[in-house]
Amino acid sequence: MATAMETALPNDPKIRGDIVLPDLPVGREELIRGNHSFHEITEIVCRVNEAPILATPKPFIFGIMLAGSVFAMFGGYIGYLYWEGPGIWGNNNPVGWAWDIVNFVFWVGIGHAGTLISAILYLFRQKWRTSINRYAEAMTIFAVLAASACVALHTGRIWMDYYLFPLPNQMGLWPNFRSPLEWDVFAVNTYLLVSLLFWFTGLVPDFATLRDRTTVTWRRLFYGSLAMGWRGSHRHWVTYEKAYQILAAFSAPLVLSVHTIVSFDFAVSQLPGWHTTIFPPYFVAGAIFSGFAMVQTLMLPARAWLGLKDIVTVKHIENMNKIILLTGSLVGYAYAMEFFVAAYSGNDYEGFTFLNRMGGPYWWAYWIMVSCNVITPQLFWFRKIRTSVAASFILSIFVNIGMWFERFVITVTSLHRDALVSSWEYFVPVTEVLFLLGTFGLFFFCFLLFVRFFPVIAMSEVKGVLPQANPHWEGYHKGEGHGHGTAEGAGGH
Amino acid sequence: MSHVEVAKPTDINIPASSLWSRLPVIGGGLGIAGIGATLAAGVGEHGQRAMFSYLWAFAAVLGIALAALGWLLIEHVVRSQWSAVFKRIGESMAASLPLFALLFLPIALLGMHALYPWTHETDEILEKKRWFLSNEFFFGRAVFYFFIWSLFGTLLYRFSVRQDTLGNDLAARDRISLGLRKFSAVGLFFWVLTLSFASIDWLMSLQPHWYSTIFGLYYFSASILAFYAFLTLVSMALKKAGVLQQAITIEHYHDLGKYLFGFTIFWAYIAFSQFMLIWYANIPEETEFFLVRLHGGWEYVSYALPVLHFFIPFFFLLSRHVKRNPKVLAIACWYTLFMHLVDIFWLVMPNAGGHGAHSHLSVSWTDITAIVGVTGIFLAVMGVFLSKNAVIGINDPRLSESLTHENY
Repeated sequence: MATAMETALPNDPKIRGDIVLPDLPVGREELIRGNHSFHEITEIVCRVNEAPILATPKPFIFGIMLAGSVFAMFGGYIGYLYWEGPGIWGNNNPVGWAWDIVNFVFWVGIGHAGTLISAILYLFRQKWRTSINRYAEAMTIFAVLAASACVALHTGRIWMDYYLFPLPNQMGLWPNFRSPLEWDVFAVNTYLLVSLLFWFTGLVPDFATLRDRTTVTWRRLFYGSLAMGWRGSHRHWVTYEKAYQILAAFSAPLVLSVHTIVSFDFAVSQLPGWHTTIFPPYFVAGAIFSGFAMVQTLMLPARAWLGLKDIVTVKHIENMNKIILLTGSLVGYAYAMEFFVAAYSGNDYEGFTFLNRMGGPYWWAYWIMVSCNVITPQLFWFRKIRTSVAASFILSIFVNIGMWFERFVITVTSLHRDALVSSWEYFVPVTEVLFLLGTFGLFFFCFLLFVRFFPVIAMSEVKGVLPQANPHWEGYHKGEGHGHGTAEGAGGH
Repeated sequence: MSHVEVAKPTDINIPASSLWSRLPVIGGGLGIAGIGATLAAGVGEHGQRAMFSYLWAFAAVLGIALAALGWLLIEHVVRSQWSAVFKRIGESMAASLPLFALLFLPIALLGMHALYPWTHETDEILEKKRWFLSNEFFFGRAVFYFFIWSLFGTLLYRFSVRQDTLGNDLAARDRISLGLRKFSAVGLFFWVLTLSFASIDWLMSLQPHWYSTIFGLYYFSASILAFYAFLTLVSMALKKAGVLQQAITIEHYHDLGKYLFGFTIFWAYIAFSQFMLIWYANIPEETEFFLVRLHGGWEYVSYALPVLHFFIPFFFLLSRHVKRNPKVLAIACWYTLFMHLVDIFWLVMPNAGGHGAHSHLSVSWTDITAIVGVTGIFLAVMGVFLSKNAVIGINDPRLSESLTHENY
């Protein structure tokens, strides 16, 4: 319905995707700009993966080397932690949990946007998800890996981590099944496994495309084995679509349950500031909030550098910003409700905890959290701001910062003032910055490898939302259909 | 993105011969009789139980109208196209919200002492809560809630009806749709806050020592679930009365069924979150809520709710065939509505014994008169709004997409 608008778009793919089209009362603008054929989509996406190794752009090599060296530093840090123990952190007597858990919750939360995009938006028939889901799912996998690293390293005697699993042993020792920390082990592992399966299932047709296009033997072997014999027959597609839908239906409750269980880590306790009944939905909203911000942070530069502006248009950015606005407001609702109930309850300890957050020794952390999570995302009410690439990027960074501080506020400020004044202590990090940095190294190293070798856009799905994928497309009547390749849409070539 | 202009439905006015056009009289009569009988018992010597019956019926039915308002606001904000055929039905429910201000009067004038212990009891904790739980502030808030709900409920209906007359003026028609979208975004903000605080005021403060941050969400989840069931049943009944025969299809019912299924899970999730955290931490300030619900016969309701309000409808609605078969879906909707009443009964009624005392599970004749009365009045007013204008927004720009809606 918006075709009149779209024909007026300039022909330059560098700016076409950034032009904001007017908001219509009805109808949807084309998800992909530039009237691309199926083949052109393949070309745009595969170009990055198919460049010869030696022709990798210099900035990219620099980036991966930087991330790799930070990752290597993380390896060294783990060795140091293994040798010295958690004494290298600033954790003290009341503050037994600090950056280790903050980083864990931060990363596992980021992962949730990927599953939301790939599973929940799929179940809600939100077709714009096809342009961003692959990227976001990859982000999920690596974020969950980073989260697992944090939680595996926080245990103290990390060489005993296998006791987290209920392995039968001669001492008859079992983990405490009543502890949400133990549920976390199962929740996060299940989440990693299902996300990986979901991601891989979506990748199979695209691996086949890469396999069929390549002329280099090692690539043919590499993509060929990953494509698992995909031929793009109807039978394959029927099975694929069914499997995809079932995985989506499994992932949707899974993603909610994972962060619910993470919230239980805090909320089942009796500590004011941790124990409150709104925690499960509030944590889920916050996780999606932080995850979408991270998708923006990663996607906005990538769409410019990799030439994907026709596929990830300003409309996608706007939609993601709306979800950031929604989930940010939900998080704001939870803050407000916690605050109100602390005042309403007449419970002195609750009241103290919340006043102490605002005006106590960690007041700065609290106000960073509120500014970045509740105040600045509200700017997305304005269409001008949520359709501005620069503003979206800056605000997404704010959200990343704010959500890290949210976990810091919850974890550290609730602990640092215990019930007795003798158990009050200020927490100061020692080497933890390297810990956080190291997880970023792990994340970006994996992510950059993914960008280099795997298709960052779900090609087969994007082809499915092109106008010519609709059997009633007008172009077929005008004879334009030929050459747009019907078979190619099936992931061949 | 349909390129074909679909023929608009013509069976859009409720025929005078149908039961619907007599609904205002029947519902109004039943309503006045039911509410009258309940309140007559309420002012009597043992009137407390009757006032609780009234509050229960009020909260259960208000939830449906409020959820209708929230649903409309959301559909406008997200420019939902599939649901355009149902919009006027939802608007008729939301437009009846001013009526609830009237229905609130018996609670404010007759019921405060019987219902809310904080109005006349005192102890150390209640004194700390006085800033919030005082008559003046309580009534001030209620006025604000009803103002907001009436404003948005009425205006959404009015603008939508005005759009009906703008068949040829496409620009004006689109302006209304775009304007309502912005209006609804503002409305959502107020709606979330007023709904949460109304539930805290009217339901949570029945047990004035108790507090739970998720309570507003609990009432929301219960209400929106009941709303989807009610919307489905009303649209089926309208079809039976001879309107929208072609407009509402299996595809629409399928989606409503999915929402019913989804919010069944959502309700269970919220209810479980509240129970699990209170049970696990076992702090006396909070366990009070479940303590009264685990004695005096209430334990059977407490154990039954997860089974009857979650497991059974969950497995029932899981199947695609159920959602696509209107007759079977109708059973699920009636069942969900009944369980909604049980759920709100479980929230309200255990407090009927008075503060600190355990009440016993009992069903009184005033429960029947109260729910018949409040529902009757609600249906009557909704019926007036439905029959006054077409039952579908015929010039809604999103209608043609909705008429050809398919699940795929």
